[in-house]
Amino acid sequence: MAFDAFQKRKERQLLRLLLPALIPLAVLVIYPALYSVYLSMTNEALTGLAAAKPRFVGVGNYLRLFSDARFWNSLFVTFVFVVGSAIIGQFVIGFIAALALKRKIVGSSVFGAAILLPNAAPEVVAGFMWISMLAGGDHATLSKIMIALGLPWADWLQTFPLFMVTMVNTWRGIGTAMILLTAGLSAVPTEVYEAARMDGANPRQMFMRITLPLMAPTIFLYMLISTVSTISVFGLVYALTRGGPGGKTEVISVYIYNQSFTNFQLGYGAAGAVVALVVSLALGIAYVRSLKVEV
Amino acid sequence: MAGVNSPRQGAYTALAYVTLIIISIFCLLPFVWMALASVDSNAQLFLKWPDSWTFDNYIRVFATENGTRWFANSLFTVLSATILVVIISGLGGYALSRSKAWWKQPFLYGILLIRVLPSTALLVPLYKILLTANNGMGSLVRPLAGENYRAIMQMVGFIDGYLGLIIVLATGQLPLALWIMKVFFDGVPKDYEEAAILDGATLVQRIHRVLIPLALPGLAAAGLFAFMSAWGDFLLPLILLSSPELQTLPIGLFRAFLRVNEIDYGLLAAIATIYLIPAVIAFSFARRYLVQTFSGGVKG
Repeated sequence: MAFDAFQKRKERQLLRLLLPALIPLAVLVIYPALYSVYLSMTNEALTGLAAAKPRFVGVGNYLRLFSDARFWNSLFVTFVFVVGSAIIGQFVIGFIAALALKRKIVGSSVFGAAILLPNAAPEVVAGFMWISMLAGGDHATLSKIMIALGLPWADWLQTFPLFMVTMVNTWRGIGTAMILLTAGLSAVPTEVYEAARMDGANPRQMFMRITLPLMAPTIFLYMLISTVSTISVFGLVYALTRGGPGGKTEVISVYIYNQSFTNFQLGYGAAGAVVALVVSLALGIAYVRSLKVEV
Repeated sequence: MAGVNSPRQGAYTALAYVTLIIISIFCLLPFVWMALASVDSNAQLFLKWPDSWTFDNYIRVFATENGTRWFANSLFTVLSATILVVIISGLGGYALSRSKAWWKQPFLYGILLIRVLPSTALLVPLYKILLTANNGMGSLVRPLAGENYRAIMQMVGFIDGYLGLIIVLATGQLPLALWIMKVFFDGVPKDYEEAAILDGATLVQRIHRVLIPLALPGLAAAGLFAFMSAWGDFLLPLILLSSPELQTLPIGLFRAFLRVNEIDYGLLAAIATIYLIPAVIAFSFARRYLVQTFSGGVKG
């Protein structure tokens, strides 16, 4: 049929338009992802004997990885970092800001812009600015503030490194959480609140019984996305602490980087990378499924 | 309404102000330090009022450091990558929107999943691929270039060269841009194109006369997000560039910061401010698209 032939020709044309996107993604993302699985089964290294003649070592790297306390530590650090900043910190503060901005507030756009500004800061700038807030013992800005308030100060990045790194990442993501949750809040019909007010519901009841349940899908989606994107945070942590002191802030991406580019053990680093890839992919699949994407 | 003006509501509004002020101070304080330190003749690690106001720090970024070079390198690589992304995602997004073929759905799921892969995890194999490509390019350039070999490889090399960084930066931004463009073209009625087809326009004419004008807002959004994300990227230039002539702003800032024994906070704050400003400008334009893109184009 002529129509079929036309349709086929059209699809071929469209595929050709997609090729410039398909090729770089295949060569620079898909292939490296598969290649890292292979690499993780070799003893490839940047220096030494293994660099000249990499050998196939099977699951050796994984056995070593799973008995490496530093690897488990990095998983634990990543878990605290993600839960603390993406799930709790950004979400709670972002939600509070979104709720506050729902009221008639003079200068709400100024507040909104201020809260969004950290979002615009590149990771390295964010790390650098927070060095001023936290590093240098009694010289740090936070210490000066604490002293002025008559409170005890500390060498923040040495004494509470993971908490501080988590707080800085929280700082960076409050804005996105606020924007998303504001969109979710404005989707809740006002009639529902009015009806509840007629029935004599207090604000707390309205929040627990109306706002939260109706927002649940938005919140779930937000948490999935922010979890996945927080797992891949690198520059912020690297600029602030480079994983230290003593691995206390070595999130998985910094761990992989240190193994591969500081210790030069490419094969071993790749095994860590594969674990990170599998975890992210699993979360990504959950995300895609829950989106019920219309394609 | 009875409740609106009650003292209780007033208390809630006051609470909202207090909360917003505290959150805003938390968000702004690091910026305040950076801005003040960058114009302070005697900047310190901690927040303080400038001893005397000066633009000396900014002048030094360009005069004694390689600031102009860093800025130009950042701008050149990131803008090139952004232009590539806009072109490729415009074409690809159109194809993804209009196609009914079997590959459409797997491809769309694929680009959503690619977005979740942590880039540190892909770095080592990526580096090896680029190294191979770089050697190939090297053996191509060497016989032609002679003594200009190094200079030319800095342009077209895949490792320690502009080309490699631009291509990898662009590829990283493609999934989101493709998604934005696909969703955008879904909202563009096919009538215009069909009319053009009936008038006998070829595909190229259709793209040029009908689709590009229609797609401009979508391309702007895709380009803005690509620019912001590539501008903020620290990992790729850190790994891919080593020549001082090729350094970009994030690496310049990072390296200047590592000279531990002679930390010059005024200078660092000036570099960081220069690096921050284009990001803030792009972000202020991109803000209105934030909700749609974050959810990956969900409906309802």
